[in-house]
Amino acid sequence: MRQEWNRYHSQTYYDELIAAPGQPRPTSERLVDFLSSQTPQHFKQCVSEAEATIRQMGITFTVYSDAGNIDRAWPFDIIPRIIPGAEWDRTEMGLKQRIRALNMFIQDLYNGGQIVKDGVIPSDVVYQSKGYRKACEGMTPPHGVWANICGSDLVRHSDGVMYVLEDNLRVPSGVAYMLENRTITKRVLPEIFKLMPIRPVSAYPSQLYEMLASLRPDLDHPTIALLTPGIYNSAYFEHAFLARQAGLVLLEGSDLTVGKDNYVYMKTIKGLERVDVIYRRIDDDFIDPEVFRKDSILGIPGIMRSWRDGKVAIANAPGCGVADDKVIYAYVPDMIKYYLGEEASLPNVPTWVCRRPEDREYVLDHLPELVVKPANESGGYGMLVGPHSTPEKVEEFRKLIQENPNNYIAQPTLSLSVTPTATDEGIQGRHVDLRPFILSGKDIYVTPGGLTRVALVKGSLVVNSSQGGGSKDTWIVNEFMPNFDDPTQEIEA
Amino acid sequence: MITMLSQVAERVYWMARYLERAEKTARLIHVHTSLLMDLPDRMEIDWYTLVRLFNAEHDFREHYNEASERNIMQFLVADRNNSSSLATSLAMVRENIRTSLNVLPEEVWEQANRIHLLMNESLPNTSDRHLRQQFMRQVMEHCQCIRGALDSHMSRDNTFDFMQIGKHIERADMSTRILEMTSLLLADDRSDILRRYEGILWGNLLQALSARQMYMQHVHARLNGVKAMNFLLKDTIFPGSVGYSLAAIIRRMCYLPQPEFPIAKVQKIRDRLASADITSIPADQVHLLMDSLQSEMGDLQEKIAKTWFYPTFSQTQTQAQS
Repeated sequence: MRQEWNRYHSQTYYDELIAAPGQPRPTSERLVDFLSSQTPQHFKQCVSEAEATIRQMGITFTVYSDAGNIDRAWPFDIIPRIIPGAEWDRTEMGLKQRIRALNMFIQDLYNGGQIVKDGVIPSDVVYQSKGYRKACEGMTPPHGVWANICGSDLVRHSDGVMYVLEDNLRVPSGVAYMLENRTITKRVLPEIFKLMPIRPVSAYPSQLYEMLASLRPDLDHPTIALLTPGIYNSAYFEHAFLARQAGLVLLEGSDLTVGKDNYVYMKTIKGLERVDVIYRRIDDDFIDPEVFRKDSILGIPGIMRSWRDGKVAIANAPGCGVADDKVIYAYVPDMIKYYLGEEASLPNVPTWVCRRPEDREYVLDHLPELVVKPANESGGYGMLVGPHSTPEKVEEFRKLIQENPNNYIAQPTLSLSVTPTATDEGIQGRHVDLRPFILSGKDIYVTPGGLTRVALVKGSLVVNSSQGGGSKDTWIVNEFMPNFDDPTQEIEA
Repeated sequence: MITMLSQVAERVYWMARYLERAEKTARLIHVHTSLLMDLPDRMEIDWYTLVRLFNAEHDFREHYNEASERNIMQFLVADRNNSSSLATSLAMVRENIRTSLNVLPEEVWEQANRIHLLMNESLPNTSDRHLRQQFMRQVMEHCQCIRGALDSHMSRDNTFDFMQIGKHIERADMSTRILEMTSLLLADDRSDILRRYEGILWGNLLQALSARQMYMQHVHARLNGVKAMNFLLKDTIFPGSVGYSLAAIIRRMCYLPQPEFPIAKVQKIRDRLASADITSIPADQVHLLMDSLQSEMGDLQEKIAKTWFYPTFSQTQTQAQS
């Protein structure tokens, strides 16, 4: 397949693996060389073996449609995405810095809001945010940490710089797919692993357990449960996977009850038993019908009392979604400076906050070029992508912004980086993003790499699996590579 | 140690029941198909006998006009509307594994997916006898793979106990259904043709319950109907006999919390079985015995659910954290 790889070019986009036509980046040289040396037949075999493996491993996600719920096989591309080790080390530092500041911010907000009093962030931005929960005021969760599990979305622009696009602090998903992707690659391309050192990702489940256990430092062996919305949830596969891998009890709201003593109990074959830590995969809104949405059948009445009493730890802490707000996002670099006295080492995407008159003026003048996002939506809902939109849609957003400027931000349309991907038309560049996962309890842990999502449709920027997106294994590879055939050379750990 | 959730107990219990049912159904269809190849047409035993064994005459008549091999196989193998079809059992196995993945070995899930993929490929071919028989053998193999993974990788904890109970209840239930067929074989007014094929038929019956070899080793090389029935109902060391299953159920229940009521029920069924004199039972009594065993097992199912799956929880049951 050497010719095909030599023909490959990525136009004006930054390419994750290839520096120039026929010229791989130093960290991807051995991978590209290996793939080039395969016959097209063998490569095709690997692709179909990966597909068969995914079906056998039952790696699926659920798509909801009028015709009923369909379990689709997880779309996976076998060509890994590589990030150089030194770059990743810097990124990891930046992610840690960012989550530290975000947690200090949430802690501050619910305990007096000094940052607002000091005028760094306007008060209405914070207190009118949908994610702000009055019921959390005055609370300090263990270690002062609110966002225990964070999945930040990173994108690389054509300038080669990695930007933080958003911080998912509510119930970020995808980590099971990150782990399964590595398992598939090991099955399908085992030879590559002896050619180059690739940082392992398998520590995540035990790190998750340790982080959750650290939320009850008073207990030697806390009972830890993963709370799923149920067996028909689109992420149920991930919930079951994580519970199995990390040794958590997998349960639903109906398995739990809050006692008169305010402890949380689960219904076992021996009667009620206490649960000490809950990793919840349901949104704040549904967690406690006594406090939030009354119509929730997923939650546990009284669990907020239990949490406020310190009788159960909940990860992520209720109310932490306030920092997962598109307007507040714009202030994260200011937060980092305010709480840590440092400059943000991972840049934000430049953001215009429509509540500022001068920003608003710029946004309204340049709408067709910009991406406009509402403050408190996720999954790409309620967004305008100017260059891919119609004049009617642009006018609709002009009105929305003028009526409610506080609810909107705008960003330049980024040109996401591409990476070689196996398509029906051969090896071609497809746009990717990256979601690393950050665990914060007593300590902070960042996954080496994360989940690379890829827009499989030519030219598309949409990486969501429900809309033609797939994913790739993500490798962190050091620039210095030992020669594995030469026993005199020491292998760097 | 983490105590088992009631909901998980229920799921693994049903997983084991459906797994047993799927394997037994595949075996029954496989053996019956090969039996009919040996038998002349127009006998008391034909394709429709299978529908009777599943007590599914009503459902079948409602959806199909003709009792042809093609229709009956479609109904028993592929029809998802038929709650006792092989496809339904396999789907229930997979769904119950999917929803209790965190307490089961990983291989079990992969095996379940393999059967699922196989089923999607093979179901359109139920009328092709050759492919169908092949499919039945593959289903049996996969079911045994799952059982093997469970047996060799699982600690003997309550999860395992519930699976064993589920497996043995289903096994005893299926056996009593299949044994209903013996009332045909023992009937005084049975046809001459049937009398001529008796040896084959009893052999076939034992085979459907994977009991032929052990019968020959432990009872007698010569097949005898009454002895075969006694073996299948009362043998104490053959794991496919009803008596063995009942003993196994009690043994497993002893490891579970508050097992008194369900155990008393199983004991009652054992007593009923012990008091029946199989060697001199008239043909019309076989049917009644099997019916009563089946309805007793239905009651047992209810007791199990009430004790462990849907108990009434109260704060006084609260256990201190150890």
